Amino acid sequence: MLGVGRRGPLGRDAGPEAGGGASAAPQALEEHAAWVVLAGARGVGPVTFERLLATFGSAVGVLRAACETGAVPRLVEASAAPDAPPALTAVAAATVVEAAAEPERALAAVRRAGVTVLTQRDESYPRRLRQVELPPPVLFVRGEVAALSPAHAVAVVGTRRPTAIGRATAGRIAEAVGAHGASVVSGLAYGIDAAAHHAAVRRGAPTVAVIGGGHEHLYPAGNRGLATAIVAGGGAVVTEFAPDVAPSRGTFPRRNRIISGLSDATIVVEAGARSGALTTAAWALEQGRALFIVPGRLDDPAVAGSLAFLREAGPEARVVAGIAELVEDLGLEDVGVAWAAAATGDARSAAGLGAAEALVAGALRRGAGSPDELVAATGLPGAAVLAALTTLELRGLVVEVLGRYQPTGRLADCPRRLPRAMGQGAAGMPAV
Amino acid sequence: MPPVLATLLSATLHGLVGRVVRVEVDVAPGLPGFTIVGLPDAALSEARERVRGALRNAGYRHPPRRITVNLAPAELRKAGASLDLAIALGVLLGSEQMSADIGGVGLVGELGLGGEVRRVPGLLPMAIALRDRGVRRVLVPQEALAEASLAPELEVIGVGSLGDAAACLRRPRARRRAPEPLPRIGVGLGASPAGAVAGADDGLDRVPDLAEVRGQVAARRGLEIALAGGHALLLIGPPGAGKTLLARTIPSLLPDLDDTAALAATVVASVASEAPVTKLQRRPPVRMPHHTVSYAGMVGGGPRLTPGEVTLADQGCLVCDELPEFGRDVLEALRQPLEEGSVAVVRVGRWATFPARFTFVAAMNPCPCGRLGSAAAACTCPPGAPQRYLRRVSGPLRDRIDLWAAMDRVPPELLLRGPAPESSAVVGERIAAARACQLSRNGGVPNGRLGGRALREACGLDGPAVARAVLLSEREGLSGRGTDRLLRVARTIADLAGRPVVGAQDLDEAARFRIPADRFALGLAG
Repeated sequence: MLGVGRRGPLGRDAGPEAGGGASAAPQALEEHAAWVVLAGARGVGPVTFERLLATFGSAVGVLRAACETGAVPRLVEASAAPDAPPALTAVAAATVVEAAAEPERALAAVRRAGVTVLTQRDESYPRRLRQVELPPPVLFVRGEVAALSPAHAVAVVGTRRPTAIGRATAGRIAEAVGAHGASVVSGLAYGIDAAAHHAAVRRGAPTVAVIGGGHEHLYPAGNRGLATAIVAGGGAVVTEFAPDVAPSRGTFPRRNRIISGLSDATIVVEAGARSGALTTAAWALEQGRALFIVPGRLDDPAVAGSLAFLREAGPEARVVAGIAELVEDLGLEDVGVAWAAAATGDARSAAGLGAAEALVAGALRRGAGSPDELVAATGLPGAAVLAALTTLELRGLVVEVLGRYQPTGRLADCPRRLPRAMGQGAAGMPAV
Repeated sequence: MPPVLATLLSATLHGLVGRVVRVEVDVAPGLPGFTIVGLPDAALSEARERVRGALRNAGYRHPPRRITVNLAPAELRKAGASLDLAIALGVLLGSEQMSADIGGVGLVGELGLGGEVRRVPGLLPMAIALRDRGVRRVLVPQEALAEASLAPELEVIGVGSLGDAAACLRRPRARRRAPEPLPRIGVGLGASPAGAVAGADDGLDRVPDLAEVRGQVAARRGLEIALAGGHALLLIGPPGAGKTLLARTIPSLLPDLDDTAALAATVVASVASEAPVTKLQRRPPVRMPHHTVSYAGMVGGGPRLTPGEVTLADQGCLVCDELPEFGRDVLEALRQPLEEGSVAVVRVGRWATFPARFTFVAAMNPCPCGRLGSAAAACTCPPGAPQRYLRRVSGPLRDRIDLWAAMDRVPPELLLRGPAPESSAVVGERIAAARACQLSRNGGVPNGRLGGRALREACGLDGPAVARAVLLSEREGLSGRGTDRLLRVARTIADLAGRPVVGAQDLDEAARFRIPADRFALGLAG
């Protein structure tokens, strides 16, 4: 790994004052820096990058060629494959020529942003991402580079406008997978993404945010504090875009490809009919990664996209049937994190409830959600219901969202018994 | 005719306090003229015209001489028309149209051109100030006799006109004491600026009973705790959840004020009210200023240092519906009264400290569209909008809110068939008992103002309760201030239940009134 941000100028002779000998600049660049310059040129995606590299042998070679006269048609020609048209337009090729003439501009932006640069040539380039087709040549990382290659990584994605329940579900899933030693990957967007990141940060689990633009244009700005908390908590904020790239319509689908690519499995919590989370889901399948979708009510617009995707995707897309089940399906093991039991539900925590708590717990399971409904269902005085809710919350059995309460953990587990014919029996299923 | 100097005692209003003014009237030979010196304001300078007219129309002469009125102390800025009566009588004495013994007599009242004596705002604090200066007898406008009579240990004489006053001073035996005040139904300030929950029973201003609020156990309980302990309460819920209805029940829940508090409330009423106050204000005031209220309207100020809403709510309750809609500076101005129970108003060259010991009850929508967190509908606000909405209430102000209660629309099922709610009478009794109990224990300080060691001593936590408090604080990541908030609320909950020490159950219930649990999602972390 080469920390551009920490090591200072790389192209020692390539400062602005060296502009007189434009063709001399690329020779002075190291290959690593050349990757940054080439990958940072607008219009150069992973495909172009690979083809140019194949033709010229190295990024330094590409930049050197770009500095010669008549470089534009040469680059366009070189970006074509035997069976495919050129990936580079003349306009894009001109930007490569520009970038090659002034490599220092791209490198200065990286230094300014204070980010770490990972290229595919680096050891610490995330191994999962290396396995996908056409991985991004360069990654810009804020935070812990090692956080990109954890033992287990699970992406939690969904709509930017979730329901309260969706938000809580994302948090529960993030807590549960975090409790089992997996890193939580998401996209730092409002809604489900933020809920997942927050839950992980709150629990001290590492989490990775993949942003859809450069680090200088962190989007959305409202989650800047969250990004700082992620980095402070040992996680990372990562992107394939150079620091000065502003997010745009086109950058987010590319971001989604990285989210799924960094993860062993992707979990879609809530996705409306046109949610971008579904592109992440599609990428996960494309990349041969596991995909889980949290189902929902029929006709609920919040999950219309999720259900449609489940129908189209076939057996490859799996259903989240419960937090404990998800943890099991993900193949995660108890790593001895203290709060793991509470996050996934533990039989012991349901024991020893007082009479009032047991009544309230029962009412919660039958669907009562507001204190009013709980009072009506239990016949207890309001004060007793409120106190009981705190006891249940301390035991990890209930979560509150703006005055409404949902059973969680053990209390949310439904009794499930599969028919014998399915060959699984009730073994391993929690008995209630 | 030799020059004659007449010296009389009167008073003006400075904020909420009466200031005794010595009125010296010198009627000297010379070019006819009438001069008032001693920092009078515009209303006071016009006393010349009123006095001139009143003298003529009451059958006296306006002496064609050089009249100089000096108002002492000279450096005190004097405002209003309360000195009219003293000035007119001073002119009569100075021009020897009458003679009387005015030692130990105070004179307060505005004159009409016909010679009638009219009420001035703040009569009660002025009477109190005169009494404190050793005055034993005060002449006041007849129409406000009852108001001035509320000042203890003072002989108050009502006069209807300048002639009455002159006659009264000539025959000091003919004194009239105030009649027993008439019983008055209603709460709040009798006739007060818009915004008060007035007592008139005309339907619009009717105070609803708590029994009319169906469901909403958490919010009802929150209100009960807030009023019992003097804690600030914030109700969060969508439009139609019943926030305003709940807030309007407050007058039916507050216990009567004790003598000291009632006198303080009556002084405020005397200053703020345009009509005479007829009896001691036993009912605590409840103010509901609209969110367009100005800074001066909220904290007080203006050219005459008029008290604002926070002071009008002293000893009672200040209700701010649609809290984020209030001006930012208006909200920030609430911090000082919430913290200190008083507010300092500073104008050029003058300042006053007004009492502002009120229970703060506020209500707001959870987001601009109002549907966030609602079971019935999804929020349609753009991302980030709810966070920005809540941040209009600044962190320091949020820190001073002990109780947060979420409300949602009550489903029709519960509205029609839910358990019968408790009435105001039942809950009000619990509140009164809890108040009495905490005030005697805390030495007159309500739980809402306890902090630090006094709070810990008042709670008397035992081993298991301490463990519970530690657990709750850690789980919520509470700061020291947050833990204090939890303990304060728990103390009041225990008081409502008549428990001498705070137990784990009280702490558990108190924890339900914290800042909303998904404060991370609301961007309130840190």
